[in-house]
Amino acid sequence: MVVMSALPDSPTGPAIQARGLVRRFGSGPAAVEAVADLTVTVEQGERLAFIGPNGAGKSTSIKILTGILRPNAGHARVLGLVPWQERRQLARRIGTLFGQRSQLWFELTARQTFHMLAAIYGLDRGTQVRRVAELGELLDAADLFDAPVRTLSLGQRMRCELTACLLHEPQLLFLDEPTIGLDLLAKQRLRELLVQLNEVAGTTIFLTSHDVADIEHVADRVVVVNAGQVIYDDTVPALRRNLLSTKLIDVGLEHPAAPLSLPGVSVLDQGETTLRLAVDTTATSVREVLDAVLIGCAVSDISVTDPPLEQVISRIYQQPGTPAGAGP
Amino acid sequence: MRGLLAVLRTALADALARRGAFWAQIVMMVLNDLVLIAFWLIFFSRVDTVRGWDGQRVLVLFAVLATGAGLVLGLLSNCRRIPEAIVRGRLDETLTLPVRPLPHLLVSRVDTINLGDVVVGVSLFALVAHPTPSRVALFVIGTLLGAVVFASFLIIAGSLAFFVNRDEPAGLALHAVLLFSSYPVDIFTGPAKLLLYTVVPAAFVAAVPARLVEQPSAAGAGLILAVAAGFAVAAWAVFTLGLRRYSSGSVWTRAA
Repeated sequence: MVVMSALPDSPTGPAIQARGLVRRFGSGPAAVEAVADLTVTVEQGERLAFIGPNGAGKSTSIKILTGILRPNAGHARVLGLVPWQERRQLARRIGTLFGQRSQLWFELTARQTFHMLAAIYGLDRGTQVRRVAELGELLDAADLFDAPVRTLSLGQRMRCELTACLLHEPQLLFLDEPTIGLDLLAKQRLRELLVQLNEVAGTTIFLTSHDVADIEHVADRVVVVNAGQVIYDDTVPALRRNLLSTKLIDVGLEHPAAPLSLPGVSVLDQGETTLRLAVDTTATSVREVLDAVLIGCAVSDISVTDPPLEQVISRIYQQPGTPAGAGP
Repeated sequence: MRGLLAVLRTALADALARRGAFWAQIVMMVLNDLVLIAFWLIFFSRVDTVRGWDGQRVLVLFAVLATGAGLVLGLLSNCRRIPEAIVRGRLDETLTLPVRPLPHLLVSRVDTINLGDVVVGVSLFALVAHPTPSRVALFVIGTLLGAVVFASFLIIAGSLAFFVNRDEPAGLALHAVLLFSSYPVDIFTGPAKLLLYTVVPAAFVAAVPARLVEQPSAAGAGLILAVAAGFAVAAWAVFTLGLRRYSSGSVWTRAA
């Protein structure tokens, strides 16, 4: 049973407040529970990465939160509105950008689509012209708007897609795999734009991606879902800190190093003048290892780093209760 | 309404963007229709009437059907693609916009090939139906009401995909209603005729509007108006109820 009034309706409250969302597909023994008791809150102005392995329920969750799907149970308010009951009002205040979807008409110019969208969103002519000009400048895309969309590269098209979904100045932006298929430069540009949009306009960002760099460069908070449930929720730096029992130590040497024997320390790579160690901090502290290295070796340089975020996230997926081997 | 008109304009512009294909498709459909007209002309050169329908009445019926079906399948082209959109999760894009999903979906694709039918239908009426102002008015009203019945039937049949998650039955329904609409309804008798006035409302798509042009009556006009209104309400209700069961899909594409 979906109860609507269980969450407060506050325009100044969280951008997203969802509690106990459940969504099943099919019925009987063959039913699949894509979202199972999902509870998450996103404050206004946050940049949230909503990640998980394939089939974790990310897209289904977004579709519930945008009003496309009705949940079987649970409560949710997005910008104070119940998505599946007040979908049209909500659609005026949110933007959606999906890497595998286009809202542009391929045979037409992007500007023709913007004109249509402006009419749908009820923007007057002056506002439409102003917004298209502003976004053209912000996204460095103004020269793309009058070319047929089919002639644009994927990166150029994504900038036009972003313009289309920002035309009505949404307060909250849902992005599902926005960088999929883009080259490195286009990905980097899109990430910078999202951060800029958040910092300049205060737009709340709700992002799903399998690209760890999207998470690292865009998000300030990470929610990891698996089997339709939140299994981790923290800031990006805390994600690294809290889940890292392993640290990487890179040592620059003046002379080849003598063998190092400490519990929980393994040599990943050793050269004449370089040494890379992996340290299990539950067995030996970083400080103990550093002391041993500084005493036993002629050190010219030393640094301590975290493993790549991708490795960290893989570890979350592989925790008990999550499918073994699932990865981003 | 401003939004719907803008979507329809965009869909038309999209169809016209392939100008070569646009004219080629219209010419092909005109030729196709001319073959059917030739068939009826040859048939009625050997037979005077069929259960009260003479050559002119049948050609008026064909004009009503070509115009009405051409308008629906041309300008509201997604009428026939509703089941595909449901089964493949292609309503997502529509549902992210602040629009009423059904009207938006209907106007968001134009098929130029069916606009050729409209050209044939209107031309045929002008050539063979002895148009007078009153007959033209009845033709326009009857054709539009028949088009409402036709579109509503397609929406109802298509929306069943929400419940059965299959798109094939709607395809059969489209072919059935088009086929039965193209014949004078009085050649059918008994349960078949009853079927064409109820479950598969082919009679109201062309035969009843054509009869209204040839034999105007308040009762006839009232009947088709009531049927069109009933089917339109039913179409809206079935789609709206079905939408609550929409399960989306994993691929996000523009609905058109």
